[in-house]
Amino acid sequence: MKLENISKSWGNVTAVKNISLTIQDQEFLVLLGPSGCGKTTTMRMIAGLEEPSKGNIFIGEKRVNDELPKDRDVAMVFQNYGLYPHMSVYENIRYPLKVRKVPKSLHENLVRKTAQKVELEDMLNRRPRELSGGQRQRVALARAIVRAPTVFLMDEPLSNLDAKLRVNMRAELKHLQHELKITTIYVTHDQIEAMTLADRVAVMDHGIISQLDSPEKIYNDPANLFVAGFIGSPSMNLVKGELKEGIFKHSNFSVKVGLKECSEATLGVRPEDLELTNPENAVCSGRVYSFELTGESTLVTIQFEEDRLTVRGHNKYRVKIDEIVGVNIFPEKCYIFETETQQRLRR
Amino acid sequence: MLSRPARKQINDFLQFFLILSAAVFIMIPIYWIISGAFKQQVDIFQLKLLFTPTLENFKIIFKSPYNLLDKLYNSTVVAFSTVVVAIPLATIAAYSFSRFRLTGERIMFVMILSTQFVPAVVIVLPFFILFRDLGILDTKLSLVLVNLSLIMPFAIWMIKGFIDGIPLDTEEAALVDGSNRIQVIKNVVLPMALPGVITAAIFCFILAWNEFLFAVIITTNKAVTMPVGLSMFHAEEGVLWHLISAAGIMIMLPMFVLATLIQKHFVQGMTMGAVR
Repeated sequence: MKLENISKSWGNVTAVKNISLTIQDQEFLVLLGPSGCGKTTTMRMIAGLEEPSKGNIFIGEKRVNDELPKDRDVAMVFQNYGLYPHMSVYENIRYPLKVRKVPKSLHENLVRKTAQKVELEDMLNRRPRELSGGQRQRVALARAIVRAPTVFLMDEPLSNLDAKLRVNMRAELKHLQHELKITTIYVTHDQIEAMTLADRVAVMDHGIISQLDSPEKIYNDPANLFVAGFIGSPSMNLVKGELKEGIFKHSNFSVKVGLKECSEATLGVRPEDLELTNPENAVCSGRVYSFELTGESTLVTIQFEEDRLTVRGHNKYRVKIDEIVGVNIFPEKCYIFETETQQRLRR
Repeated sequence: MLSRPARKQINDFLQFFLILSAAVFIMIPIYWIISGAFKQQVDIFQLKLLFTPTLENFKIIFKSPYNLLDKLYNSTVVAFSTVVVAIPLATIAAYSFSRFRLTGERIMFVMILSTQFVPAVVIVLPFFILFRDLGILDTKLSLVLVNLSLIMPFAIWMIKGFIDGIPLDTEEAALVDGSNRIQVIKNVVLPMALPGVITAAIFCFILAWNEFLFAVIITTNKAVTMPVGLSMFHAEEGVLWHLISAAGIMIMLPMFVLATLIQKHFVQGMTMGAVR
């Protein structure tokens, strides 16, 4: 699939600005970003539910801008499932076969096989209102896969599920996509979903793609301040300072990073890449603002005058609020960004 | 200071008394008509609570000169035809207003609703002149046309409210699954909006069934409906309340039967519109 300079505007509001993207066959691509970044609008243009203001959409070799949703051979799973409440689970799954005039003799077999894949074979007579959230999600999935489309589109399908079920469904989705080998475009604001499911992630912000890369590169090699701050939980520490003679200078500390000069620079470092230590041995020291026990680690937020750094420490680490602690910052773990352009400065 | 159980008892009694008063207030006219239909004329004027019931009134109203059966037939055909034409058209219009972004849609919708604010007495004469010139005075067709003009805006407004409550995701899912727009309306929207459509149909039927002003002006003999027929029950001795009561029951009875048969959809339709 290819998106060529796709834009979408309503009056003065531009939701998607000149996006170009090529999605490989059988790839699992995630569109990730905060609310209002244009990811759902992009997906809806691919589905045919919105018309692009500019640009072209190709599925295979075919330009599909003027094709109705039903003619694009895409299947979509909606955030609120979009099930037909007046039909049984069986009829919901069968519906695409019925309207596409698949021979009736094939319906029962296809529906039952698909129901088996999503473990719904015992619930075919039920109505959607009699199902749990996870079961409804599986009905929506089954309805999407029953006719083996060219492309799956999934618009935040797990966002209405509780945390535990979300984890389970993530694994099921990944497995299903791998088994069916169908090109999938997945929209989410949840970076954990993006990192665990995607072959590639397109991080979107204000209608443009900030970075398009593998999950590993998105995490370890962010291209700009937005991606750096958006990816990671807790998010990357970002402090402003000045870059002079290869040294990043903050009011509390300095780090030798070996990059060219920049009057306004931002240093980024992930909480797990900082080290808690005694104030005497540290690069910098500050007062403990808060700490959180997460089970697998302890998150300590330290106040340095007007800035704060969050450090991920050992789960046995204990400290008191207002206690003075030291932090070690390792240059090789730091990312430097030009504050004005927000772009990453590289060695 | 009263104890809590005593206060509760007084509250319960007051509630019961208020509900009973309201029920009596509503039911007295209904009782009056029902009892009057089975009384002789003299029993009505004597305000007798205990009386010997008779079915004679019902026999009289169906005979000449009243011929209520003809009027019953006219009312049924007119009301039924109005609903059969109005509801599908109103549903399509309501769907368009609800789902499509049309140029000037707000103005169009307000204009459609504003026809409801025009007093009927203002437009009855223009309708009379129009139908006279078309040569369709005193026909059921003229009544259907006039009822459509009165009922369609109301039906569109009511059905639009129900369609607005259907999640867009469900329709879009049907479009992506392979439906065209007509299939979406037929397979998804209509079944989901059915309680609302039925509710609108019932209201429209009742409005058409009870319509009096246009019917009394436009009809004279062949297309006279039941409400107009009621005005015939007077003689030298005065108003024939016993016959009016019997005819009144014939007007009300189909409404009761209709409401009982589709009560489930009616209640669901009313509450679906209320809770969104």
